Amino acid sequence: MRKKEWKLIVTFHTTADAIAFEKVCKETGKDGRMIPVPRELSAGCGLAWCAAPEKKEELQELAEKQSLLYEEMTELFY
Amino acid sequence: MNLAANKKTLVASGAVLGLIAALLAYTGNPKNMAICVACFIRDTAGAVKLHTTGTVQYMRPEIVGFVCGAFLIALLTKEYRSTAGSSPMIRFLLGVIMMIGSLVFLGCPLRMVIRMSAGDLNAYVAFVGFFGGVYTGTLALKHGFSLGRAYPTEKTSGYILPAVLVVLLILSVTTTLFAVSESGPGSMHAPLLLALGGGLIFGAIAQRTRACFAGSIRDVLLMQNFDLISIIGGFFAVMLVYNLATGGFKLSFDGQPVAHSQHLWNFLGMYAVGFAAVLAGGCPLRQLILAGQGSSDSAVTFLGLLVGAAFCHNFGLAGAAAAAATADTPAVAGGPGINGQVALIAAIVILFIIGFSPRNRKN
Repeated sequence: MRKKEWKLIVTFHTTADAIAFEKVCKETGKDGRMIPVPRELSAGCGLAWCAAPEKKEELQELAEKQSLLYEEMTELFY
Repeated sequence: MNLAANKKTLVASGAVLGLIAALLAYTGNPKNMAICVACFIRDTAGAVKLHTTGTVQYMRPEIVGFVCGAFLIALLTKEYRSTAGSSPMIRFLLGVIMMIGSLVFLGCPLRMVIRMSAGDLNAYVAFVGFFGGVYTGTLALKHGFSLGRAYPTEKTSGYILPAVLVVLLILSVTTTLFAVSESGPGSMHAPLLLALGGGLIFGAIAQRTRACFAGSIRDVLLMQNFDLISIIGGFFAVMLVYNLATGGFKLSFDGQPVAHSQHLWNFLGMYAVGFAAVLAGGCPLRQLILAGQGSSDSAVTFLGLLVGAAFCHNFGLAGAAAAAATADTPAVAGGPGINGQVALIAAIVILFIIGFSPRNRKN
């Protein structure tokens, strides 16, 4: 079973926003992966980006620079 | 209890969904329809006389149960969110298309899995089409397709659909306003309270686990995540055991109840459903669950499914079931007539326009 630890979870309003975020992260070599939105954060069935908590500022800067839309960045024991 | 905690709880949840479907089939619902969302919405459309096909008219308590089960559990767990505003008319159209595809094949993704568990090889052909449709939908997502975000709205907006369905169910029980089939699938049903209770529990579990037939394949394709498909696996396993135990399992193309072997149309029917479901953000079951937890956009998709069912029967779009020859009648190959074939091709063209239009790519 996967070991739970603190993660940074980026949620999105639309799937398209999530996929655009993933694309830029991969192109710029950012660590992280796409996951289904954790149930603790939403009852929807959308996508979220999961990364290490210390990457928060880096991802916020990237989102601003690349005009990427996201809903929230939340730290979660996941 | 967190039903989505890990794969074991998800498989177990799927197994419980399977037990409910098996119980309702055992107690009166059509055998390999059991708890088919598209079929039951079609029966409901017939009950309220949106269409007048005499064999498929019955106010299905399971549909009320799905929506209200999701509604009640979402209120209880504080997950209820009244939202709206994400391209409602496109969602309505996607609902119509999902119903056309389902009724050409003769079943939604839920019934497709039930038919697969009964050995119906036509359903395996349809599954290949469904997989292809979901894959095409994920390509559209990667190309930037979006219906736009939903916004919080007046809390009571999300109460409307559950309330209307409850009123319709009460009217169906206490008055003679609604049509009820005297023969055919619409005449076969589990006892009212059992059907309603089963639907409520099914809806609640589906809400907690986020069960979705299209979403499960989408997650495998986009993220190599197998959480949602674990639920389908549990559901399939229980239905397989049920069919083997009750003699309902028959590995064949021919002789399957309420089915046809027009492979191209089985494939394309479920291709359209898979494609439309990814664009709409969920299969017909998931739309009912999302509507229950407050999404007015999904409630509009439900209306599309309901109106689509009426169109299918009023304009001869639905596929016919194959039938063996009898002393009085010749054998019937079944499948959709020319109206259904044209409508389905047009629907697939519309899906490509919606999913891959340049405007969406730019966004």
